[in-house]
Formats: sequence, C-alpha cells, structure tokens
Amino acid sequence: MNNKILGITDFLLFSLIVLISAFGLILLYSATNQDIDVVLKQGTKLSFCFFLMLLIGSLNINKLKTLTPYIYLLCLILLVVTLFWGHDSKGAKRWILFYGFSLQVSEILKIIVPMMLAWYISNYEDKEIEFKKLIISFIIIFVPITFVIKQPDLGTSLIILLCGLITLFLSGVKNKHIKYLLGLFLIVTPLMWKFFLLPYQKQRIMTLIEPASDPLGSGYHIIQSKIAVGSGGFFGKGFLNGTQSQLEFLPERGTDFIFAVFAEEFGFIGILILFIFYLAIIIRCITIAIRAKKYYDKILAGSITSIFILLILTNISMTIGLLPVVGVTLPLLSLGGSSLLSVFIAFGIMFSINRRN
Amino acid sequence: MRRSFLDVGRVNSEKLFSRRFILLLTALSILSLLLITRLYYLQVISYEHFDTLSETNRIKYIPTPPRRGIIYDRNNVVLADNAPLYSIEINLKEAGDIKKIIDSVNLEIGLTAREIKIFYKKKLKYSHHNSIILKSNLTESEIAKVLAIRYRHDGLDVTASLLRQYPYKKVTSHVLGHIGYIDKRDLSRLDKKKYKNSKYIGKTGIEKFYENQLHGSPGYKHVEINARGRQVRDIDEKSSIPGKDIYLTIDIELQKYMYSRLRGYTGSSIAMNPKNGEILGMISAPALDPNQKLWKLEIDQEQTAKLKSPMFNRATHGLYSPGSTIKPIMALNGLHRNIVSASQDFYAGPFFQLPNNSRRFRDWKPKGHGIVNLEKSIIQSCDVYFYMLANNLGIDKISSFLKYFSFGQKTGLDMPYESSGVLPTNNWKLKNIGTNWTDGDTVITGIGQGYFLTTPIQLAYATSIIANKGSIVIPKLNKNSKPIKSNEVLEKEDFLKNIISLEDWETITNAMYKVVNQKNGTAYWATKNKQNNISGKTGTVQVYQLSQKTDDRNTESMPDHLKDHSLYIGFAPRENPEIIVATVIENIGGGSKYAAPISNEIINYYLDKIKREP
Repeated sequence: MNNKILGITDFLLFSLIVLISAFGLILLYSATNQDIDVVLKQGTKLSFCFFLMLLIGSLNINKLKTLTPYIYLLCLILLVVTLFWGHDSKGAKRWILFYGFSLQVSEILKIIVPMMLAWYISNYEDKEIEFKKLIISFIIIFVPITFVIKQPDLGTSLIILLCGLITLFLSGVKNKHIKYLLGLFLIVTPLMWKFFLLPYQKQRIMTLIEPASDPLGSGYHIIQSKIAVGSGGFFGKGFLNGTQSQLEFLPERGTDFIFAVFAEEFGFIGILILFIFYLAIIIRCITIAIRAKKYYDKILAGSITSIFILLILTNISMTIGLLPVVGVTLPLLSLGGSSLLSVFIAFGIMFSINRRN
Repeated sequence: MRRSFLDVGRVNSEKLFSRRFILLLTALSILSLLLITRLYYLQVISYEHFDTLSETNRIKYIPTPPRRGIIYDRNNVVLADNAPLYSIEINLKEAGDIKKIIDSVNLEIGLTAREIKIFYKKKLKYSHHNSIILKSNLTESEIAKVLAIRYRHDGLDVTASLLRQYPYKKVTSHVLGHIGYIDKRDLSRLDKKKYKNSKYIGKTGIEKFYENQLHGSPGYKHVEINARGRQVRDIDEKSSIPGKDIYLTIDIELQKYMYSRLRGYTGSSIAMNPKNGEILGMISAPALDPNQKLWKLEIDQEQTAKLKSPMFNRATHGLYSPGSTIKPIMALNGLHRNIVSASQDFYAGPFFQLPNNSRRFRDWKPKGHGIVNLEKSIIQSCDVYFYMLANNLGIDKISSFLKYFSFGQKTGLDMPYESSGVLPTNNWKLKNIGTNWTDGDTVITGIGQGYFLTTPIQLAYATSIIANKGSIVIPKLNKNSKPIKSNEVLEKEDFLKNIISLEDWETITNAMYKVVNQKNGTAYWATKNKQNNISGKTGTVQVYQLSQKTDDRNTESMPDHLKDHSLYIGFAPRENPEIIVATVIENIGGGSKYAAPISNEIINYYLDKIKREP
C-alpha cells in the first residue's frame, strides 16, 4: 500500500497526530502573545519531526532494533558533549547548540532508554529476568541518568528513570525483585532528601506543599498557573482572551505551562475534548501493542504507550500544582524541539511496529 | 512455588505482558480520572474564586486624588490654591536598587547632598507611602532629562500633582495653617478609602478645621495591567469630586495691613466685626512662609530658631494676663453689684494696702491719681481704684461675672485648637497651685494680673460684647458657617443684655471713648486720627515683679524678656460699632505706646480705606 511505503501504517493515528500538532501551533500563537515568528520556527521543527517520524515508520523494526545500541551509545557521547561544551542557561547545562538549533539530549533519552532496555532483554532466548539481567538493566538506565543529574536536571532524570522502570515492569521483572526495589526506594528517598537534593530542588517541593508561603518567589508559577486554569471555568475565556496568559502573569507559557494556557482559554469542556483526542491516540497505540507479535515489539509499544500517558499526566499535574515543577512538556502541544523529537521518534517506532503486524 | 498475579512466569511471557500492561493502564486511568476530578474542582467548583483572583491580577484600581478646595477671602481673593507641580518620585515597591536610580538621576540633573539626605529620611519616616518624592518643582528641561532615563529604571517616575500654594505667604500663615504629608498619626484616624493616593492633609488652621470639606472625594480608574505592572488599557473611570471651596471672613487688605503693623514684633492682633462675629483679620507674629515648608519639605532650622516660636498661633493659643484691659468689665461688675456707683469719688494714693498687711499694691503712677471716680479710673487706668473694687467684690463675684464674658472657656472660633485660658477661682488655685486663694490674689486680679490668663481671641470676644453692650456673637472665620449659640451662651446673653442696665453699659463705654478721645486718656496721645470715634482700653502687663520699695519702673533698661506686654482693646465707631480690635505685643513696653496706636490705626485703616473706599 502507498501509505505503508510512506511509513503511515495507521492512518487514524497519523491523522490524530497531525490534528493535535496543528492545534499545538495555534495554541502556541496564543501562548506567545501572537508571536508568529516563534510559531513558524516551531512549524519548521514540526515538519522535520514529521519527516523523521515517517522515515522511522518506513524502516523495518528489526533494523531499528539492531541500530538501538549504537543510538544509545551516540546519546551517551552527546551527553558527555553536553556536560563539557553544553549551552549554559539559568545555571544548568542541558543543551548542545549546532547550526542555530539546540538539542536537549536528556529529552530523547525518555525514548532511547526504553528502546535500549527492550533490545537488551529481548536479546535473550530465556525470557526470565534473573538478578544479573536486572543489574545490567539498571546500569543501562543509570549511566545516562548520572549525566543528566550532573547537568543538573533532577526532574528529567526522574522521568527517564520512570520510563526505564515502565519498560522493565512490562518486560517481566520478577515480583520478588519488584518488592525489593520498592523497599529500596523507601529507604533511599529520605536519604536523597537529606544529602542529595540541591536547595532549589527542595524549595520546589516545599512550594508545592504550600505555594502561598512565597507568592512572589518559587510559589509564583504554581499560583499563577492554578489561577489560569481555575479562571478558565467551564467554557474558557476564549482563544486569545486568556488574561493570565495574554498579560503574561503565567510563566513559561509556551513550554511547561502550555496546558494552563489551553485550560484558561478553552475551559473544562476544551480539556474534555483534548482528552478525547489524546485517548484516541492512546487507544490506537494500545491496539498496536496488543496486536504486536514479537516480544521486543510488544514491550516497546507498551512502554511507549504508557510513557506517553505518563508524560501527559505529569505535565498536567505539574500545571495544577499536584507535582513539583519538574520541566516535563505536554506531548505534541508544548514548544521545544527536543521533546517534539522524542515524541515523534516514538510514534515513528509505533508505525514501524505496526508495519510488521 | 507460589505464583502471584504479577509473576505468571516465562511459560507465557505474552500473557504476563498483557496482564502487566493492563495493570499499568488501569493505574494510569485511575490517575487520569483523579486529574479530571481535580480539574473539574478547579474550573467548575472553584471557578468564582479563581476568576476573582484572575481579575485582581489583571485589574488595577487607581484612585485619583481630588482637587483640594480653594480658600478665598471675603471678597473672593484667592488665599490658597493649587498649582501644578512636577516631581521625581521613586516607587519603593517597584524600584530595585534605589541608590542606582538616585545616582543616574544625579548624573542627569544634579541633586544636592541635602536633597538625597532628605529623601532617605523621608523613606524611613513615610515607609507606608508607596512612593517618595526625590525632587520637586522641576523645570521643563529637568522633566525631559528624567523622562529620558525613566525606561531604564523600574520605579522611577515623574509625576504631576497639584501643590498647595499660599500666595500671601506669612500674612495668612496662622489663619490658613498649612497642609503636610500624611503621617502615621493622621493615618490612624482618617478614612483610608477617602485618602487613598492622597499625599497631603490639613495640619493646622483652616486647612485642618475644614479638612473634610476641602479634601473632596477621590475618584478611581480601573486599568488593565500586565504582569510587569504596565498599564495596557483603561477599563472604566469615575472622576473625583473636588473639595469644597471655603470663603473666609478675612479681608486680605486689612490682614496685610495688620501684618505690616505687627511685623518685627512678637504678638497677635485680631480684628472682628462685632455685629456678626466675622473675623476680619487675624495675625500671629512671627510667622513662617508655609510655601517654603511645602516645597523644600523641611524648614530652615537656623532661621526658625532665631524667631520666637513662629509655628505657635498666638491668636488662639497665646496666654496673657489681660492687664488693665479687663478694667471696664471689672467696673461693670462693680456697678452691677452696687459696690461702686458712677458718681462716687474715691481717693487713690500711690498704693493700696490690705488691713493688717504690710504689702503695698502699687499704682503704675508713682504719685497716685488722687481723687478719682469710676470713669476717671478707667480713663487714666487707675490701679488703686480697681484694687479697692476687687477687694470689695471678692474673688467669687469676680470670677462668676467674668464667666459671662466666656473667660476660661473656648470662644467657639472655627479653628482646630483653642486654648481656654485660666479663669481664677479658689478651687482652681487649690487644684493647680496647691495653696488657698488669698485676698492679695483677689486684689491683683482687679487689674488683670496674677493667675488670670486670656487668649487674644478671648479678649476680642469680650470686646465685642462690650461694643455690643451685651449682645454676643460667636467669632467665625468661614463666611458661610452659621455658629449656633448654645443654651449656655443664650443664658449669658440674656443676663448681659437684660439684667445689666444700659446705663451701666454706657458708663463704661463712655469711659472707654474718653480713654482715646479725652486729653488725660491713656490712648489719647497714641491716636492721631480721632475721626472715627474710637473707644478703647490700654493694658500693660508686668512680666517681672519689681521690688516693693522702688517706685521707679524704668522699663527701657530691662532685658527684652522681662519687659512688659503691651495690650489694647478697642472698637469703633462709638455708636453701632463696625469693628473691634484686640492686640497683644509681647515684651515691648506700655499698652499706650505700642498696642494702642497699632490697633487704632488698624481700626482707622479698616473704616477709612476699606469700608469707605470700595
């Protein structure tokens, strides 16, 4: 079929992605105070990402699988590059700049780490994950995370960790091991708080608990974002009429808090409609995961689906003050090339997996 | 081996995946539902709350201060108005590094070290104000220069405001009072809504007394602002209601003349229309230019120190023994109680002595006046006659009679503060001095000395009663106010008009006429122009008690602060008086030398220059 050659193996999924991304550009127009330049730039990035998605979608999934360790290695190299020659912004080195484009490697890790894990685990005939395999899996997860923590970017590190854990969970880690890990988690968390977290990170978590304690400081983002969401009401204030966003009370409108812009202008009803669209995408992804025959395909498709949901939930929870501001973007809607890249790579993989079915 | 739901095992890894995938999706679905519930709570249930917060964010309420009412004199001459004034203000809440702002302003227009020092002082003192003035009264080029650098500094602004101006400066200083920065004490008692964004409030004088009328009501403007506080657009506006204008009874021409006559002296002079209580002129000297205080926002301490309490309004606050100016009232008391009669002669030697007491109460005239009657003792101001009279009356009868003239009480003038003076009684002395009243105390009260203290406004008030032969008018400064006589005042008026006989009134007013118009009168030589038939009474108040033995009172050689106070009360014309004047000049000498000529010239100026030449 013509579609399959182009890499569009699920036309409905493709249409939904196009629809939401296009709407993302419109929303961005509002979020940036009608700055058409930003929207055009994002449109360019989006086109590139679409191209990449279709390219990946047209590849055989086996080819992708064999390439995985090399991609993973490339990412590690890029992380080292980021650490030494990265672009410094607001006290953190998270970006590599080249030819006017910036790349945040840690964003792509959200998809590369699950890919690498799926590759590693599915390489064995024996599907059982014994202790040695578990340890190596954790090394796969923690090597890149260490670099990300160094940047420092604790939020993204945690998200990458979660993504890896999802893949491990789906690929069949023993129940026993899960219990051990939970126990370890309970011990390590308080120690982390005491010895590991930087003051600004603690502050973020504290403001989550009581945003009003510092309304002009770190609580400001959460307060303004909640006001934006709440004042949207049932029907919203209307496109370009969100006072919180248009008058710039809302910080980081294009990226982390794009959902607040949406909620303010389109209201609860708009959110329900957006959720229906997201749900449609998720259902398509679940179908692909369930229909997949190969173990590798299943784990990866299942991981991508779950991670996609996780990112949406995390971003919205952050926006309405249920989670600390960890810098997670809203898939398909937020401004930013790197997060877009990882989402479209993931969908490319989904198309590729679907091709084999 | 026990197998759990999660760990079905390698046998069917596909089944395990499906179960775990479903488990994961279920968990994520539950989280999603919780999130939707939360969003429903925020957007639908708490909508009102967040909508209000959002509106508060975006809409700024800017009160617009009202224009302060203008103060006019009786002929609609402006005494206090508002002039546009451009100032550099620094908004303390918006400004970052205040020192940096001041430095760059200094670079542009040059600030004096004093201006900077005063700014920091005000910043401490008025920390409750949003913005503090750095420099006022800018020139056009200064405005342009500061506006050019404004964009670089948050919180730096050039504001236009209306500043109070007093065109007659020192002349009207004490009557009008002045406005000043709202301080923390004002803040605690004023209506905060009405004074939002107002910087000034009446501090003294008319400005304070009529503050409520002069201030007006602020309007407001709702503007939409962005997160950086910049105004995006106006939403709605309600204009402010300007304060009411006040028309005073003061005649600025007379006021100016009075000021020119008192200039260089320390004291007070009040001119009043006895028919309606309108104060025509009211001076307290020395005075300060209130404009200077407003513009420089601080008075020159050195200059002030040289003057004798220039901020003190002597007209309403200065406490003076009335001296001989009280003699007509004492005489009226004696006539009323039949202690003396008009025709009765009395031998007045050089001094008066109480029985069984060696203390000599001396007359101002070393040799004494010889044979006098009541009229002559007023005309020549014979002290011994009034020692005798007071001794015969006794203190109770004296103070109860003085009460009819409201001594020891406020006159009811529309000024924010007024002293009540001291009406001497036995009780008063016991309470305040701690000893019993003595006959000697009574004797000196007869010539208005001792514990008896009055303010110039009380003297003016009492003089108007004499001029009116018993009718009482409440003194007022606001032309449109209609002071209501209290029952107490009406009772007093009834007594003075109906119980005291017209004959007695005429006895003392005739004597007062002769004080000025008969050759042996104490104010005869002091009054050159006698065409207006002025009646009056001089007073000389001893500040320093001379030794009992000396007869010589050479006041010229005494240090200034021990010199006598010079007093005078007067009214004219004789029939149907149109003006009364009461004047006190501190530490200068005799009443007939200073207060009398000045007062009578004021009376003549009013009757000749103002009344007859429209």
